[in-house]
Amino acid sequence: MIPIEAVIVLGLLLFAIGFVGVVVRKNLVVMLMSLELLLNGANIILVGLGRRLASPRGSIFALFVVLMAVSEAAVGFALVLAYFRQKKSYDVDALDDLKG
Amino acid sequence: MITLAVFLVFAVLAVAAGVLVVVQKNVMHSVLYLAFTVLATAGVFFTLGAEYLGAIQILVYGGGIVVLYIFVIIIVNLKEIVPERRRFLPKLFLVAVPVAAGVEVAYLLLAKGFPAAGRPGEGLGFKTTAEMLFGSYLFPFELASILLLAVLVGAIVVARRTLVHDPD
Repeated sequence: MIPIEAVIVLGLLLFAIGFVGVVVRKNLVVMLMSLELLLNGANIILVGLGRRLASPRGSIFALFVVLMAVSEAAVGFALVLAYFRQKKSYDVDALDDLKG
Repeated sequence: MITLAVFLVFAVLAVAAGVLVVVQKNVMHSVLYLAFTVLATAGVFFTLGAEYLGAIQILVYGGGIVVLYIFVIIIVNLKEIVPERRRFLPKLFLVAVPVAAGVEVAYLLLAKGFPAAGRPGEGLGFKTTAEMLFGSYLFPFELASILLLAVLVGAIVVARRTLVHDPD
């Protein structure tokens, strides 16, 4: 029997790691990967709570989160490719065209 | 008890690989650690009894998204990927872990035989999940398919190399 606290701590840890990655790293691809980590952490918590409540809703919500993650990855990569074509780099520091 | 142990193993693997995703300098290494995290998360889902979601995780993340990442890194920056030399200890580790896993599987099969093909009533989780997904959550499900169609079109439009000349 897995205690719900362990599941939530694991989800929060993954979420925190992903958040740190999004905030700290400057490489666009690594930032997108950290977003995936973040969504994975949320999914773990959803599944754990669904099991705790003996309801399939946790899995269903997590399934929708996975679908969203796929969409985000596809559009994000299209943007990375378009960005790279413009700037020849995937460092977000080069993204300062709108600076006043 | 054994479920808890397996859960803890997968949890530690997922967190450790997640940290490595963020701290790696080489993007390709990050992607491989991301694949590691994703598979460990699938293991966590299995131990939590969400078998369907674990399978989806392996298929969609492990098979789809990670490969997409690798393709994008190859397209965007081929020069960063350099062949690397490994020291002796990591090389030994890389060989020893699959060998140990294979020995374990062989031992379990020889000692216990193949498990029986599932008890009656074991698929009930799938049944309730499917009934709820295609019952109460049918509308969000269809919306998700529209989202995926929009993403398909949008990704092609954004990533297209040149604008096609449109007479209208």
